[in-house]
Amino acid sequence: MTSKQDKARIKAAVKRRKRETYTPVVPDKQLGFVHNNVDCIGCRACEIACKDKNGLSAGPRFRRVQYIEGGTYPDVYAYKVNMSCNHCESPACLPTCPTGAIFKRKADGIVDIDSTLCIGCRRCEAACPFGAPQFDPGDNIVKKCNMCVDEIEAGRKPYCVMACMMRVLDIGSIDEIWRGSLETVAIGPADKVSKQVKNMANIELTKPSIGFVAHSKGKVK
Amino acid sequence: MSIEKLTQSLNKRLNLSRRSFLKSAAVGGASVAAGGLVEMKTAKEAKAFAYEPYPTDDQLETVVTSCAHNCGSRHMLVAHKWKDVIVRLSTDDGRYQRDGHFGKDDNEEPQLRACLRGRSYRQRLYSAERLLYPMMRVGKRGEGKFKRVSWDEALTHVASKMVEIKDTYGPTALVDQSYAGASYGVLHKSDQIEGLLGRFLGMFGCRTSSWSVPSYQGTTFSSRMTFGTIEDGNEDDTFAHSKLMIMWGWNPAYTFHGGNTFMYMRMAKQRGCKFVLVDPQYTDSAAAYDAWWIPIRPNTDAAMMAGMAHYIFTNDLHDQEFIDQFCQGMDAGTMPEWAKDKENFKDYILGKYDNEPKTPEWAAEICGVPAEDIIKLADMYARTKPAALKASWAPGRNAYGEQYNRMAAALQAMTGNIGILGGCAEGVGKAWHAEAVAYPYDQYSNIWFQSIKSDRWAHCVLNYPNVKREEIGLWPRQDDTDGQIPNIKGIFWQGSDWFNQLTNINKEIEAINKLELVVCMDSTITPSGLYADVLLPIATHFERHDVALPWYKGHYYIHRPKVIEPMGESKTDFQVFTELAYRIGGNVFGQAFNPKANRDYFHINDNVDEAYLKEWWDQKVIGHQHVDMSWDEFKQRGVYKFKLDQPHVAFREQIENGKAFQTPSGKIEILASQLAQITDWKKTMYGYEIPYIPKWIEPWESLNSPKTSEFPFHLISPHPRWRTHSIFNNCSWLRETYEQEVTLNAADAKQLGIRTGDTVEIWNDRGRVVVPTYVTERCMPGVAVLHEGVWIDLDSEGVDRAGNPDMLTLDEPSPAGAFAYNTVLCNIKKTDLEHRPGWDQLATSRAHVFRRDL
Repeated sequence: MTSKQDKARIKAAVKRRKRETYTPVVPDKQLGFVHNNVDCIGCRACEIACKDKNGLSAGPRFRRVQYIEGGTYPDVYAYKVNMSCNHCESPACLPTCPTGAIFKRKADGIVDIDSTLCIGCRRCEAACPFGAPQFDPGDNIVKKCNMCVDEIEAGRKPYCVMACMMRVLDIGSIDEIWRGSLETVAIGPADKVSKQVKNMANIELTKPSIGFVAHSKGKVK
Repeated sequence: MSIEKLTQSLNKRLNLSRRSFLKSAAVGGASVAAGGLVEMKTAKEAKAFAYEPYPTDDQLETVVTSCAHNCGSRHMLVAHKWKDVIVRLSTDDGRYQRDGHFGKDDNEEPQLRACLRGRSYRQRLYSAERLLYPMMRVGKRGEGKFKRVSWDEALTHVASKMVEIKDTYGPTALVDQSYAGASYGVLHKSDQIEGLLGRFLGMFGCRTSSWSVPSYQGTTFSSRMTFGTIEDGNEDDTFAHSKLMIMWGWNPAYTFHGGNTFMYMRMAKQRGCKFVLVDPQYTDSAAAYDAWWIPIRPNTDAAMMAGMAHYIFTNDLHDQEFIDQFCQGMDAGTMPEWAKDKENFKDYILGKYDNEPKTPEWAAEICGVPAEDIIKLADMYARTKPAALKASWAPGRNAYGEQYNRMAAALQAMTGNIGILGGCAEGVGKAWHAEAVAYPYDQYSNIWFQSIKSDRWAHCVLNYPNVKREEIGLWPRQDDTDGQIPNIKGIFWQGSDWFNQLTNINKEIEAINKLELVVCMDSTITPSGLYADVLLPIATHFERHDVALPWYKGHYYIHRPKVIEPMGESKTDFQVFTELAYRIGGNVFGQAFNPKANRDYFHINDNVDEAYLKEWWDQKVIGHQHVDMSWDEFKQRGVYKFKLDQPHVAFREQIENGKAFQTPSGKIEILASQLAQITDWKKTMYGYEIPYIPKWIEPWESLNSPKTSEFPFHLISPHPRWRTHSIFNNCSWLRETYEQEVTLNAADAKQLGIRTGDTVEIWNDRGRVVVPTYVTERCMPGVAVLHEGVWIDLDSEGVDRAGNPDMLTLDEPSPAGAFAYNTVLCNIKKTDLEHRPGWDQLATSRAHVFRRDL
């Protein structure tokens, strides 16, 4: 466990490193995901849709529906936290890239990797606190979710969102998601959106563009 | 590399100006225009999908189709293809239906979004396990050695063998085990009872049919006896109107009973509906709907329900008006004249006949649920209106499983929750009626010469002729062949992996070696296929023309065009049967079997299939269902969604307008007229007595039986989420999301010294399997959960290293025909034996064997 002092030092170090290597892109509008941890049945259709869309073999999982469970029999609980790339405001992956393959789009804040520039050094993989960039041993490069930019440019939504059988995963302007003003069925009438859930990396590290409807046991105080 | 070039490249790599380029390039987008770039010939702007070509969806051809298997629902798949290759699949996004647009997803016409299995279809279609050519066995059965042969050779062999077997052993020598591998197309239908195979063998004059349905025979029996029909289901949108939903052994997060059931249940939750789960496991459904979890000992459900009934009766919480008006045999007042001397349900519950009142305390002893919880649930259910008790199929897949379903129907009836919006009479759950048949359907559709309980074929083969008719559940016949034991000498599997899926696999292995012909028709190799003499490659639903039906819930049709040409030499099952008919019986048989086709159907099937489908659409869909869309428009759109005037609720007509139920008495038969009048049980297909009112009957093994001293765990084998039975077991995407493992309670595991990930052996006196463990607090102590359908992978000792629970199940069906899949005691210990998660490693080598001439 890091002490308060350590955290401050880490923060300063991260800040220094970013300043030296990278001029942050301030997107016109930042897109982000929203996921309802409680109502998600954990079916992983989104994961498979993503694999199919991105032509991945077994191995890299851009989208990961994580199962959380706890309690003691028979008083138990379970919920899901669904995450792919959070297209962070300050992506930790980006400044680590020695070839400039990683970029953040001005228009919508999507973070992507140019596969022709990637040399597969895997530094970004280590830098990301959420496990978004993943090495594909078949192609020898790192790949990750790009929010299906081709679909977004065609005026549609990413494959994972359109695959969600429960309609609990969506995208939208992250500010609207956090404010709870996004028009989406992913957020129920009585639901509140939080930026973070339990056991997730400190969001100050990268400022991930994601919102959750957290389970009562998954709330961060 | 020359020195000069090496220097150049070194210079490039060390070039400081490049580094400055990188810095600016990292900014990305079109804003990169720094001077350094111009010098760098290799430099280019970072962009998405940099590897070209990356065909976007809009650059590809879009074809609407659907998934195909018998998972309990049916969803749209949209193939995006390049020439003859499906590049990716998406699903319904609201665009394809009439008046649709992207994102249209209302409650009246919700999107039909495919699940993870449907989305992984490309892996099955293009898998190494695809059968591409006809093959014939060259090794021993089960050894997996085959040689490639021509269609002509394969079909000649099958045809001549069929004739030989029929001539030698008579008209019962061939068993058809057709099932779900290609089910629920209107044209190419591998239905167990009345599909293409049954029709073919029936016309040929040699067929022993298999009548009990593995998934839900207990439930079917119950619905037929109680309501006179299996159409006891509501459409899934009705669930949004419930105030209380009791999910009894039901996990809609895994088994999608209806296309959007889980979504409408979420709507119910948002409207304040309370959820209860009665199940040995705290399932994902319980989590998603925040249900009150009542863990129950497997196979004791009927006892708990009896306890609830006792509480409801004794506290006068039952709906007497409803009972008097609609029920037969619920209490003394509703007994028909002819049955005045028979038992009624209420008096049975109160203990009048056996001096054993079925109190909540009595039930608690049996089912392990505290009496106060039974009372609380009974009270909730009786007082909340409307309340849905959804009695799922799984607890019915048990010894006397039909009693559980019958008992549930009694509870549904006594609380008046039948025929009302937000209530539930399921049961089987078949709701909206689809026009299901485009294939030739006539007097030949279901000819059989004997019919047995489906899991008794091995018993019949091994013990012939010393088999009693009740042992195999022989269906009565009206002629002098009634009661003749079939002399089974051959099996046909059409879209069926039954060898892997029926109970007691070791007994099947013993029996299969006594057969003279085993034919497997499928699109991939399966564990069953390994035991076949002839493998016939069947085109998948992407490779033939058809129309998809919703499963038991849903009101829509999805067009399934031939998206790609059949791979390899595969043919449709309809083509194969037609060709065999011509070979065996010339034009007479050929044309009778497939009236719209000629002999060349084996090579050209497009026009004939189109003719069948168009006729079905014009006559049945437009004619009977009054659909106002032409066949051509339907083909062009790919989907037709019905709009219903009001939510479809089973038995609404009966309750609101007094229409008679389809039972002999026209009432809800808690006392089943048919059963009450049977005198000689041996001569029925059941073979053994079944009570005419729902009763608790002690199963032959459970956590309450003395056998637990040797086998202390009760094994249940629910349907997995990542397979449809055994289909998709070979897909690595799905394998990666879930693993075949046994779920154990944490306290049990601790006692055994087992932690998550440890490999264990599970065994009983029928077999032995090896699997990793998942230790959790979400499972009831004493219960082990192992999902069905994994492809058996036997080692030299006959131990299944893949972990198929049917190595341990008993091939002893319940009298009503329910498979006793969940009535299994076993023991568990840590092991050094290696788990083989299936065929992912083996597929390579086996594909190698399959794909060349030996």
